[in-house]
Amino acid sequence: MRLTEEQQHTLRAAVDRIIPPDDYPGAWQCGVGDYLARQFESDLRPMLDDYCAGLSALEAESVARFQQTFVLLSEEEQDTMLRHIEAGEVLTAWNVTPRLFFNLLVNTTAEGFYSNPEQGGNRKGVSWAMTGFEEPLQ
Amino acid sequence: MITSHDAIIVGTGAAGGIVAGVLAEAGKDVLLLERGPALSFSQVGRDHLRNQRLSIYGHNAGPELEGNPRVFVDPAGNARTVRPHEPDYHNNAACVGGGTRVYGAQAWRFMPADFRMASTYGVPAGSSLADWPITYGDVEPFYERAEWQLGVAGDGPALKDSIPRRRDYPLPAVPPNPQTVALKRGAQQLGWITSPVPLLINTLPYGGRESCIACKYCVGFACPTDAKNGSHNTMIPRALATGNCKLVTAAIADRVETDEHGNVKGVSYLVQERGKAQAHTARAKVVIVSAGAVESARLLLNSHTTLHPNGLGNEHHQVGRNLQGHLYPRAYGLMREKVFNGIGPGVTLATTQFNHGNLGIIGGGMLADDFIKPPIDFWYDSLPPDLPRWGLANKRFMRDNYTRVLHVRGPVQDVPSPDSRVTIDLGVRDRWGIPVARLSGSTHPATVVAAEFMRERGEAWLRASGCERVWSCRPGLVLSGGQHQAGTCRMGDDPKTSVTNKWGRVHKHDNLFVVDGSLHVTNGGFNPVLTIMALAFRSAAYIARSYFQCDCQ
Repeated sequence: MRLTEEQQHTLRAAVDRIIPPDDYPGAWQCGVGDYLARQFESDLRPMLDDYCAGLSALEAESVARFQQTFVLLSEEEQDTMLRHIEAGEVLTAWNVTPRLFFNLLVNTTAEGFYSNPEQGGNRKGVSWAMTGFEEPLQ
Repeated sequence: MITSHDAIIVGTGAAGGIVAGVLAEAGKDVLLLERGPALSFSQVGRDHLRNQRLSIYGHNAGPELEGNPRVFVDPAGNARTVRPHEPDYHNNAACVGGGTRVYGAQAWRFMPADFRMASTYGVPAGSSLADWPITYGDVEPFYERAEWQLGVAGDGPALKDSIPRRRDYPLPAVPPNPQTVALKRGAQQLGWITSPVPLLINTLPYGGRESCIACKYCVGFACPTDAKNGSHNTMIPRALATGNCKLVTAAIADRVETDEHGNVKGVSYLVQERGKAQAHTARAKVVIVSAGAVESARLLLNSHTTLHPNGLGNEHHQVGRNLQGHLYPRAYGLMREKVFNGIGPGVTLATTQFNHGNLGIIGGGMLADDFIKPPIDFWYDSLPPDLPRWGLANKRFMRDNYTRVLHVRGPVQDVPSPDSRVTIDLGVRDRWGIPVARLSGSTHPATVVAAEFMRERGEAWLRASGCERVWSCRPGLVLSGGQHQAGTCRMGDDPKTSVTNKWGRVHKHDNLFVVDGSLHVTNGGFNPVLTIMALAFRSAAYIARSYFQCDCQ
């Protein structure tokens, strides 16, 4: 099973709210999508159904709450959505526990963004330079 | 095929490697079994998500995630099967060198009072707290031997008031970092005595190997210049160089074999060869079990016969009890200035002020700063509890404060509980069909009281050091084991309350020894590895003297 195109778009928007771009790139630009694609084929394979169900539910929740697809919400609206899910406050029926999905989303995004560049989610060692762990990679 | 040897040693960790080195250099024929492989620096790698310190998706030093389950029983009595990278597995590395291949290498001696805990504090209800059958004075020469044979960097005079010694460390202590300066200032303000942290790390070339290059990957990883001293690069190479020691990797000991009179005659083991398990039998005059506190107990329990229906050494149901590790209170504080300079190992300064003598507390522990923490480890471990876990606020804290957070942590002396225990689960077997270890119980509530006291000391230290904000992690009443696992075959004079005598020889067996952290009656308020090493030198010398008439130094 793989992510549908819609789930992929939702994922992209969501990880960029977990680690948004500012003066350093956000999660997606750093490759967290690539990191997750690899993980969905390996370590996260057992969680993939939950992950996909959560992304679809996030989208349905967005339509229910804002009558709009998640990717087209403003950043503030997206954050509001995510805060509700984090708190377990949902309007629609979820096939996965909202908090479980939210923790999975947050943890796996951070794992990609802050771990080794060669794992795909920390392109050019951006987060290591940002934190001061390492000198920036050339 | 049956082979014959003077000694068989099961396990190549901190203890097994040392016993192998001592006996092989004494000219004895040694068979050394290791369940894992020998791992090169690049095989251990630098994966921030799969290492001995943060093992979200796996380990870098074994065991393999599949085929090596354990059973963990939670406080409510629910049993579940766990895999090696899950916290409740209480893993230690499975490779040549055992945990020493990837440890942080803090090289603490226990204090004199750590060997006399029951006499010092009395025994609280529900605890199996006891004195050791030996004193600090008995172990002191062997601490010195471990420090000089393997190589320890430290400052003996700075510690002499709390931990007496006859000879200083062979290597100078690691240099200070910016955080050292801040913490030293804080300690002075509080009137606390500090010292550099002793480490099994070459601060200068030693033992034919290079010195530390101050990288960021000590704890959880392998050393790029081989300057971190474990059994894999000191005593095991010495053992192999004699030509007297045969090291077999991927070798799983399934039983200690006994004859019809109950005498130990050898070990049966399985070797993974081209994906298949080949059965082997080895005979020896002496068998030494050094597989770590969980696996050593498991092997003795799995070696049951009609004469020893409860397992070897287990007439009084003591094998596997008193499992101890350490609760680890942690405190963090935010400094105005950067305190991180990227120079490893990172751990530099400790206080032993609170290991004993704390009103109303049994024991206590050492507090020190921390090894360099990879950013994802920091993200999981070290952020303030009131910081949002996502969004710009989280990212900016990581950006602004990764280099400004001071870390203080330390192992708290475990008050042992007989119910904190390793048994065998007959319903769950590993890939070789051997029943697995079942872990149950928790430490004694008095340990949590001591840990809470130490957490408060940690916070006080950070405040005095100039932290604007301080936060910390409150330890709970849990099973403590993990990489500091100990206690499951404790030494003692009374066979009813212990498993071995004061040399590690299993009661009622003439030629069966346990030599590893399992022997620890109590586990000190310190990282236990140097004590494991010292006891290994001591037991090895005893075995060489008593069984082979060798007076080895």
